[in-house]
Amino acid sequence: MGNTPFIVCRCEEVTLEQIIEVIERYHCSSRETKLRTRAGMGICGGRTCRPLIDRLTGQMDAEKAAYSLPLKVQPPVRPISFGEWGRGS
Amino acid sequence: MIDRLDLIVIGAGPAGLSAAIASARCGLRVLVLDEFPRPGGRLLGQLHQEPDGFWWNGIKEAQQLVRQASENSVDIRTGVSVTALEQIGQTGWKIWTNRGPFSAKHVLIATGAAESACPLPGWTLPGVMSIGAAQVMTNVQRVRVGNRGVVVGMNVLSMAIVSELRLAGIELAAIVLPPKNPLNVRASDPGDVLRSLLRFAHLAPNALFRFGASFLGNSLMQRMALKLYPRRGIRMWNTPLQLRRSAVEIVGGSCVEGVRIADIDSEGVPIPGTERLIEADFVCIAGGLYPLAELAAVAGCPFRYAPELGGHVPAHDESMRTPLQGLYVAGNITGVESAKVAIAQGQVAGLSIAIDSGVPDSPTETELQTAMHRVKQMRRDALIQFDPDITACRNRMYGTNDAIG
Ligand SMILES: Cc1cc2nc3c(=O)[nH]c(=O)nc-3n(C[C@H](O)[C@H](O)[C@H](O)COP(=O)(O)OP(=O)(O)OC[C@H]3O[C@@H](n4cnc5c(N)ncnc54)[C@H](O)[C@@H]3O)c2cc1C
Repeated sequence: MGNTPFIVCRCEEVTLEQIIEVIERYHCSSRETKLRTRAGMGICGGRTCRPLIDRLTGQMDAEKAAYSLPLKVQPPVRPISFGEWGRGS
Repeated sequence: MIDRLDLIVIGAGPAGLSAAIASARCGLRVLVLDEFPRPGGRLLGQLHQEPDGFWWNGIKEAQQLVRQASENSVDIRTGVSVTALEQIGQTGWKIWTNRGPFSAKHVLIATGAAESACPLPGWTLPGVMSIGAAQVMTNVQRVRVGNRGVVVGMNVLSMAIVSELRLAGIELAAIVLPPKNPLNVRASDPGDVLRSLLRFAHLAPNALFRFGASFLGNSLMQRMALKLYPRRGIRMWNTPLQLRRSAVEIVGGSCVEGVRIADIDSEGVPIPGTERLIEADFVCIAGGLYPLAELAAVAGCPFRYAPELGGHVPAHDESMRTPLQGLYVAGNITGVESAKVAIAQGQVAGLSIAIDSGVPDSPTETELQTAMHRVKQMRRDALIQFDPDITACRNRMYGTNDAIG
């Protein structure tokens, strides 16, 4: 009961089991977890799973995390076409 | 006029609109950008009755703010997503959007809050949505979300929205807890959830109030309350609030067909042999809110972590200034609170920006103090306190005290 695998990062289709396995194996930070699993690297920019990954790595309370986000935010923060992105610069 | 802007406000919610009004009244040229098709932010979904009988209709409140903004020549553009921003030397800020770039001397980020997910098996099926999405469909788009729903997650937001769905005549089969897993530790603990619900007993219909009132304030009694809480739930708005049951998985082929639930023990662990299926064609997931601060991060603003405020918030002081010159924040991006607090914070931000612009009609320091005082009053009187320790946390952050005077 309750052991059905399920997705945490919907954009990159990464499951809870995959994320936990990586965290346990490498004792990694949110950033390393993201790079190893691709969770949080999809089209939504991690809007849904970013807080979940932080919760799993337990990074939010860490000293450093108190002054910055555990996972860097990269622009653009919304999905837009290359054409639109190019118009800005 | 676009090339001579004093202020760009990102987010046309209550905080952004009230900041735009306050600064435009001082003579600033203001542009407000919002990605939603209509201005008003999360106000648009709000509909509830206050204890004095007054109906808070968010759509009306939003219309009023938009009217005041227009009267003061604020330019509001919707359907514009801000994708990045950058500080350009001492001269101001450049903003990128899906409608081209803009620049201004000052920027206010008032992007509000986002909903937290609480994933469970089956949550990616069509028909599963966040509870906020159900609120927008019902109250803003006037679309029926489904015929019979199940709500997963109990917190002040889900309670408020359940009452709205019921007002719209939508049937809800049950409200249950999320399953216990590493992502939903506190939200799946029946004792924790009961304690937080008891804080809102004054908002709830009689049944929970009568049940809750006798247990308030005493932790031994609260532990007993959980034992005495009926398995089948207490009916609120004709929907059973099942604190002693949790969702196990959402089931369905190509869309939601139901939710498998189980009785749980006092730790939230399912009791074997108690599983059953509730038929439903939609499911609302209510995982709470966190400040939507992505643009502040892109801008390079430092952060503070404060669980009482919903997570990481951009560093700012009581005047809504961030450590970055020309960058301000207001509303739920500074911590999850109610709409009236967001409006009051917006006024503070608007005045601070006007003062920093050095316009001829610049507000006085006393006016700013009065506005900051009003934020505290609103916070104290707020009908919905998203966290019991907000005031203490704000005082720590701002170096202020409780005195409201
Ligand atoms: C689903 C939900 C339900 C709520 N229900 C209640 C309730 O019943 N009662 C209550 O008191 N409070 C409620 N709240 C809290 C609510 O957030 C505040 O009451 C209030 O609306 C906050 O005001 P704000 O101006 O800070 O943000 P919001 O009202 O959230 O407005 C922010 C605006 O910014 C826009 N935006 C965000 N990012 C971008 C971007 N990158 N580019 C362009 N535009 C952007 C959004 O489209 C939005 O219109 C709710 C919040 C949520 C999320």
